Amino acid sequence: MVSLLRRAFLLLACCAVAASATAQAPVAKIVSAPAAGEKGGPGLALRTKKALTVPLEGRQFLDDALILVKDGIIVGLGPARTTPVPAGFEVQDLGRQWVMPGMIDLHSHIGGTFDINEMVYLVNPGLQVSTSVVPANPALEKALAAGVTTVLFIPGSGVNVGGQGVLIKTGLDKYEDALVRDPGSMKLAQAGNPEGWAIGVGRSFMNWNTRDMFERGMLHAQQWREFEQGRGPKPVENFDLQIFRDLLGKKTQISTHTQIYQVVLSTLTMVRKGFGIDVYIDHGEMAGYKLAAFAQELGVQAILGPRVVEVPTRQFIQWTGSNPEALLGIAAEYQKAGHTRVGFNTDAPVIPGEELSLQATMGVRYGFDDSNADSVRGLTIIPAVTAGIDKKVGSLEIGKEADLVIVTGDPIDQRNSVEVVFIGGRRVYDTKRDIRRY
Amino acid sequence: MRLASAALGLSLALLACAEASARTGHEADLWRRGPGAKLSERGLAVKARKVLGTSREGRGWTDNAVVLVKGGVIEAVGPARTTPIPEGYEVVDLGAKWIVPGLIDLHNHIAGGLGDLNDMVYLTNPELRGSASITPRNPLLQRAVAGGVTSVLLIPGSGTNMGGQGILLKTGLSTFEEMRIRDPGSLKLAQAGNPERWAIGVGRSLMNWNTRDTFERGLAHAALAKSGKAPEDIQWDVFDDLLEKRTQVSTHTQRYQVVLATLTMVRQGFGLDVYIDHGEWHGSKLAPLAEKIGVNAILGQRVVDPQSFILDTDGAILGIAAEYQKNGHTKIGFNTDAPVVAQEELSLQAAMGVKYGLDDSDAETIRGLTWVPALTAGIVHRVGSIEAGKDADLVVTTGDPVDPRCSVERVYIEGQRVYDALEERLW
Repeated sequence: MVSLLRRAFLLLACCAVAASATAQAPVAKIVSAPAAGEKGGPGLALRTKKALTVPLEGRQFLDDALILVKDGIIVGLGPARTTPVPAGFEVQDLGRQWVMPGMIDLHSHIGGTFDINEMVYLVNPGLQVSTSVVPANPALEKALAAGVTTVLFIPGSGVNVGGQGVLIKTGLDKYEDALVRDPGSMKLAQAGNPEGWAIGVGRSFMNWNTRDMFERGMLHAQQWREFEQGRGPKPVENFDLQIFRDLLGKKTQISTHTQIYQVVLSTLTMVRKGFGIDVYIDHGEMAGYKLAAFAQELGVQAILGPRVVEVPTRQFIQWTGSNPEALLGIAAEYQKAGHTRVGFNTDAPVIPGEELSLQATMGVRYGFDDSNADSVRGLTIIPAVTAGIDKKVGSLEIGKEADLVIVTGDPIDQRNSVEVVFIGGRRVYDTKRDIRRY
Repeated sequence: MRLASAALGLSLALLACAEASARTGHEADLWRRGPGAKLSERGLAVKARKVLGTSREGRGWTDNAVVLVKGGVIEAVGPARTTPIPEGYEVVDLGAKWIVPGLIDLHNHIAGGLGDLNDMVYLTNPELRGSASITPRNPLLQRAVAGGVTSVLLIPGSGTNMGGQGILLKTGLSTFEEMRIRDPGSLKLAQAGNPERWAIGVGRSLMNWNTRDTFERGLAHAALAKSGKAPEDIQWDVFDDLLEKRTQVSTHTQRYQVVLATLTMVRQGFGLDVYIDHGEWHGSKLAPLAEKIGVNAILGQRVVDPQSFILDTDGAILGIAAEYQKNGHTKIGFNTDAPVVAQEELSLQAAMGVKYGLDDSDAETIRGLTWVPALTAGIVHRVGSIEAGKDADLVVTTGDPVDPRCSVERVYIEGQRVYDALEERLW
């Protein structure tokens, strides 16, 4: 119903633009006038009891804060007492409500149609899920209603390299508006599911085949780099291996569905150390925590989920390589081992996209120390840094996009709920205006 | 009949006893004889940062408090500064932990049965007993304990209009004898939603007529039996208890029309103690009438109404507990319908109530998990709050039990330490 309404509104807006181009109809201007905070609109000043600013370094929050937004960007931030409201800014007092940056989920399959698990080949670096995006679809709109503003939409893990993910904003209904970066990542799934590709395929074969593809891809990328630096002949264009040029140039990362001890080990040794590629643990769970100290040393971030706990099985040896004697919180184990860049994911729809913050809550329930806002960081700045989009999103800092979530209190306390979401200064969800979706 | 029931109880008890001692052995014995427990001569003093008492009147909590327990019963509760600990008591200092009363779920299907609790031979079965299906210390009950749930009403399923008699039990104890709080715990009524499937052609009108007929005959028999004019009849036994207010009707009721029938037919018409159990959907519109005639509302397992069955709304999500509260209902509790919602997630039902608008400024959530269900089931003299004279069913938590970030660390039932997360965390 809402999306229908929105579409109707968009249609109207489109008509309005067309009309204004031709006849300058006064109605059109009223309909399309940008609201405060939006691009082209007046400035917006939000006064809040607590702003969870969560920059990568430094103080993580501001009490009684004022957040200034203009043209979709955060232009000012400080204590309300000492921060003047510029002339022309619309002031909104949020009372007891808190403000945090939009949440980021780096493992999502709900960005579009569900035909994103091609299994013709075992490695498919050329496939792009950007061909499947359905902007502002109902699943994304629900995630939005829970404060999730950015997702990495990635292929399934039916094969070892499913293809290229795309980073998109959840609440914007045009692809070009929603797009953050394409390729958002190259999706690697080392084990767990791809064994089902054909009878006889096991971890050693998959590892060899993946390694072979990486070797060829990196060689191709090196040849292009040498050509661009005038040190070699022009290589033949290879559409299939093109993404390795982005990987070599550190313009994108490898997001790895990795969980079993041996498999996380090969993420670290093969992909990070061997090929020197920016890679992160995505879908991090099971016994991977035993490698947390090593991951930290190599600068490999850990985005954890969908499972949040390790359960004792009492079997002699568990296939995951883990055999805990007690219920273990996965995030807590990474943290205890000294990992400082822990984030959370849902693998939506495995865990619904709207339950991203619940993943962090469960982390705390099972021992994750949250005294330095690590749970909120794991939903915002950590995934932003991990995906290389922290210049734009992930914290409340001057110059960043105004992706803001207004919550009735601490977002990790599930008794609270999301009231309003802004993306790029646009009020894309408001429980007082729209129906409550979550 | 009474004899038969005793024999049944005994045989179950023997079975359970053997099983429990085989499973837990030395440990269970230690718990049973530990300080504060029934079989022990020694008292127990438990100190905590906060004790949530949650009785209706007065302040709901005590800071830096001590709870004194002896013989499985709470002797005293008060500020540690002013409450002297008698000599010889074992003192347990829980530091920053909280103590809350054991949680109570009045809609449970996992204390036993696990598949054979939904007999569907007749459309009304007031004679069937949930007590015939109990499995003490089954794995699902163990997890219930780990979630702080210490008392449950085990009831038959809702495949028919009257599934039979529920039984009120303590979750974490080892034998049927120890577990039983009251039998019959309730007469289970399910007015609509599932019993339509009993046979083709059965709809709400026939079900209502048939149920009404059963009530009429049952209560008529009870009246005759009371004056010695009718022989014992196992089919109508439970109506003796209902007539004497020794038990209640727990009703799986959710739709407007069906909740209306609960209020008008069962409460006003037959004058029975009845409560809304499995309360959801827009039964909330009848909250003012329910409040007025003293029908308590135990809500769940759905905690929100996406309004898919209703034509007169915009489709927005409504919190069911919040709607009951807004409409003036003051006796709101929560249930899980376990295993539909896992028994250990009872407190999460209350947390979701708050997420969807329930005002918790007067500890409504914790009361809805303890005191309200105890009052509703007529067992508030034994459980539901931390007060002198009540069973020592104490749940030790890492903080506010309704905040899902906090967890249960230890559970005492009647003074016995039946769960300790530091030994083996289950939830």
